[in-house]
Amino acid sequence: MSTGMRKVSDVLKHRSTLVLLSVPILLGAVGVHFFASSLVVSLYTYFCVNLILVLALQMFMGNSGILNLTHVGWVGIGAYVSSILSVPPAVKSMGVPNMYPALVELSLPIVPAIFIGGVVAAAIAAIIAWPLMRLSNAVGVITLFATLIVMHVVMTQWDNVTNGPRTFFGVPFFTTLWIALAGALVTLAAAHYFRESSLGLRLRASRDDRFAAYAMGVNVVQTRYFTFVLSAFVAGIGGGLWAHYITSFSPKAFYIVEIFMLLTMLVIGGAGSVSGAVAGTAIVTVLREVLRQVENTLSLSDMFNRDVYGLTELSMAVLMVIILIWRPGGVVGGREVAWPLLRARRRASEVASADVASDE
Amino acid sequence: MIGAEFIINTISLGSLYALVSLGLVFVYGILKLVNFAYGEYVMVAGYALYVLTAFTPVPWYLTMTLAVGFAALISYVTELVAFRPVRTKSLTAMLVTSFAVSVFLQNAALLLVSPRARAVRLPSWFNRTITVFDATVPLRNILIIVTAAVLLVGLTLLMKYTVLGIAMRAAADKFTTTRLMGVPANLVISAAFIISGTLAGVVSIFWVGRSAAVDPVIGMAPLLIAFIATVIGGMHSLTGAVVGGFVYGLLFNTLSIMLPASVISYRDAIMFVIVIVFLLFRPEGIVRGSYTEERVG
Amino acid sequence: MLKVIDLHASYGAITALRGVSLEVRQGELVALLGVNGAGKSTALKSISGVLRPIQGSIRLLDEEIANKKPEVILRKGISLVPEGREIFTGLTVEENLRLGAYTSYERTRYQNDLEEVFTLFPILKERFRQAGGLLSGGEQQQLAIARALMSHPKLLMLDEPSLGLSPTLVDQIFELIHSLRERGITILLVEQNAERALEIVDRVYLLKTGSLEFSGTPEELKSKLDIATVYFGGASDAEREVSL
Repeated sequence: MSTGMRKVSDVLKHRSTLVLLSVPILLGAVGVHFFASSLVVSLYTYFCVNLILVLALQMFMGNSGILNLTHVGWVGIGAYVSSILSVPPAVKSMGVPNMYPALVELSLPIVPAIFIGGVVAAAIAAIIAWPLMRLSNAVGVITLFATLIVMHVVMTQWDNVTNGPRTFFGVPFFTTLWIALAGALVTLAAAHYFRESSLGLRLRASRDDRFAAYAMGVNVVQTRYFTFVLSAFVAGIGGGLWAHYITSFSPKAFYIVEIFMLLTMLVIGGAGSVSGAVAGTAIVTVLREVLRQVENTLSLSDMFNRDVYGLTELSMAVLMVIILIWRPGGVVGGREVAWPLLRARRRASEVASADVASDE
Repeated sequence: MIGAEFIINTISLGSLYALVSLGLVFVYGILKLVNFAYGEYVMVAGYALYVLTAFTPVPWYLTMTLAVGFAALISYVTELVAFRPVRTKSLTAMLVTSFAVSVFLQNAALLLVSPRARAVRLPSWFNRTITVFDATVPLRNILIIVTAAVLLVGLTLLMKYTVLGIAMRAAADKFTTTRLMGVPANLVISAAFIISGTLAGVVSIFWVGRSAAVDPVIGMAPLLIAFIATVIGGMHSLTGAVVGGFVYGLLFNTLSIMLPASVISYRDAIMFVIVIVFLLFRPEGIVRGSYTEERVG
Repeated sequence: MLKVIDLHASYGAITALRGVSLEVRQGELVALLGVNGAGKSTALKSISGVLRPIQGSIRLLDEEIANKKPEVILRKGISLVPEGREIFTGLTVEENLRLGAYTSYERTRYQNDLEEVFTLFPILKERFRQAGGLLSGGEQQQLAIARALMSHPKLLMLDEPSLGLSPTLVDQIFELIHSLRERGITILLVEQNAERALEIVDRVYLLKTGSLEFSGTPEELKSKLDIATVYFGGASDAEREVSL
């Protein structure tokens, strides 16, 4: 066997999950690029951007087991920061009439703008999460939810920065299929390595049994805190890429409906694993597009005589509850795909009872 | 006289908020579930009021009773269809389920009625102003105080002197042991959801009565109030919920008066920040309850 | 009355019972002994429906009750006094007892039952309107047993009733269990205090790491103790007690 072959088989053995997940995504992008309509290319790009956001959510929520509703807020911060930094001053002064002059003058290339968006999201998360990670279950969930509301209130009210509830437009298009793909693959690797890292392991230990983790010397609060900030950073970067894909948006895009969509992607696929996040994002992106088409068709038909709203979210909610009832670990079931597929399944079944109980 | 008006309005708002948060804690106490769909029970009662007042000749008292009953029914149905099957799963699974139920109900309203607000006409005396202790306040505000007092006394009697009430208190403390007494798990949980829905329905009458309209996202505000009030008051007892409701009402009215006009739109954000800071110093809330964190399994 | 055949149970990945069979006959006082983690409490939890067994049959008066809900099993006639007493601390003694009578409530019968409880446990009459949480450990244990008796069980199961009690109180509890047996109540007792338990029981089952190690009368167990002590590696009385 040549060394090259050996290397390939080594990678397959140790990093098979990563390979098994990224190769199809890569091939999908190539296929879409060469053989599909621009509509499908656009959808695939959107899938990749969503994948970044869902993987960032998986990093914290999947490994800690804590429902993080603020996630979409960090996406929003990344989107606004990178847009404010990269939109040309002339466009800004027109689009956001009340913007602080200092902000109007800012003008950075897109790549550093997106990066700074991630840093700002992480910095704010670092301040806010410090008290939040200490709170117990119920109170913690409520305060995270309240934090999302606070972020939303600030985004809709601070019109010197965000243009208030109105649309922020004129964001330069940057996130092509290939850039989104690159972002998704890097995030995939990051989420995978994080899950297997000692920080990720400690976090998962605290999810499965908080007190046992304490007893083993895991500083649960600190572990959660670092992961939360890391997740916010990735979400911020993802938000920047999203903004430069969608090019105009308003605070609505970072609120209940959107966090619900990200949650459906994660939960339907299975929050416990990176594989679940990938599968869920793929399934929900396609389903959502199909349902949108149905909504549009119904709206245009004579059946209702009015616009049909809400069918998409309604169906996703039903699907999510069904998944939670019959397959609480999600489609993938809380474990990673691995090579060879059969052995992975056997190993998974050994730990299944411990894993599935908390991977919902 | 602003003083008397402020006091009456604050008691009235506090009473409303106490009912709002009590409805949330009834379910939390037993299931340890923070129910995101709770606001939607207020919403469905609002739509029941709309349908009954706009399309039927039903008298007002029957309209209100039916609306409250509808909220209780929807609450019970969500328990039966969504929460019961996931009860033995993880806490996060339950939370996500309640989030999904909330989204489902909101979008059902969007789909079945309209995204736009619908006017709800309650009897005109409901919004008439009257003068008590030299203060001019809407009759509605007095009615809230009376209703809340009656409900609080009624619920206290229920919890103290009926077997169901005793069983519910026991279940909130030690769920499994309560079942070992022969108390069916589903009975206490269903009862909690029905009481929760009933309270949401009563809240809805006053909430919708104030705005005279209902829309699919009307449940958001009461949900938040319930969340914050219970967190302030303490999630582990019914008393905590009531105390939290009144404290929140006082805080809200005080901020409304004191905040300058330029930052009034940030009021909610400021309240949450106050609450989060408060939690740093007293994470269990004002009232330390006796409920444990034991999960229902 | 109670017949358990080949019972298997586990907590997630950890197996706690591997094929345990035991029987309790009408009017008997049977002890289930073993060291910590031997599976005694797991057996009681499985019988009472708190834990769903993986495999095996549990029959009460020839009716299969395995996998039934706890509230259903109580109605069939098995009452469990759980480990750690599990008093409703926020409820008064009266309310605790009222819940105990949840399935059997009928006004006059309830009053009679209360009177009977008061003769068995006079202290509960004194504390009738106090919160359960204010009772001492021994009083809480009495309340837990009284509460379980309120449902008129065919079989009473006690999980470590002497745990955490002072020696005098332990004496009282064992006297009480003995007197309950004299009244004709069928009892399955789980104990770590083997020495004391052996004095009052009719038959003994000994569990070791989830399997049955011995079954027979206390005398038979005592006669085999030499083997047992060798087996467990202890010699002195104190060690024997621990090893059991």
